[in-house]
Amino acid sequence: MQQPRIARHRRRRIYVHRKVCRFCADKTMAMDYKDARTLRHFTTERGKILPRRITGTCAKHQRKLTSVIKKARIMALLPFTSGHAQE
Amino acid sequence: MELRYYDTFYLLHPDLNDEERQAISEKLQNIVVESGGQVVKIDPWPLKKLAYKVQKQSHGYYVTMEYGAPSDALEEITRNLRLDENVMKFLTTKLSDAFDPALIAESREASSPEETAGEAAAPAESGEGE
Ligand SMILES: [Zn+2]
Repeated sequence: MQQPRIARHRRRRIYVHRKVCRFCADKTMAMDYKDARTLRHFTTERGKILPRRITGTCAKHQRKLTSVIKKARIMALLPFTSGHAQE
Repeated sequence: MELRYYDTFYLLHPDLNDEERQAISEKLQNIVVESGGQVVKIDPWPLKKLAYKVQKQSHGYYVTMEYGAPSDALEEITRNLRLDENVMKFLTTKLSDAFDPALIAESREASSPEETAGEAAAPAESGEGE
């Protein structure tokens, strides 16, 4: 059996290469530093910001995203690095 | 007196009880009101696990306060947050240079932020050159 339809939600994160910027495609998708759940899609498991060639985010939105993620880090909503992360 | 539209988001010590958290919120709201401003939203989150330890604490209470206030009220709020040892972190964002309560209420009712409401809310995003 290959590629089961039902995604198995493991701890591991899978990075899907996207062709379009998600923020351009969905104007209602607000960029909010308090929305850590959404922002986690744009970071690695270690908390590093994913480059836009992986996420497909356009340059304009990537700049915005970077500053939003940094605010979330400052407020302890996202980790700086996994080294500081608590268990 | 010119009001600007701010969002102050702060993190409280996990050991505080409901009354203590309420007291901090009311103190901040009073500063806004006494300055001639207006609070439009208070959003306290339930106890949340932090992404990293802050002052040796692994959890805390986040609270959002959105309000219109003159800039000297913001200084007073900042001073209070800084002096209060139960406030572990805080961050104030200017949502807009102009505070228009009618417009805020309007864009909230029209909860589909696509067309007109979206346009009205657009300058609220912290500005970017493009
Ligand atoms: Zn984009």
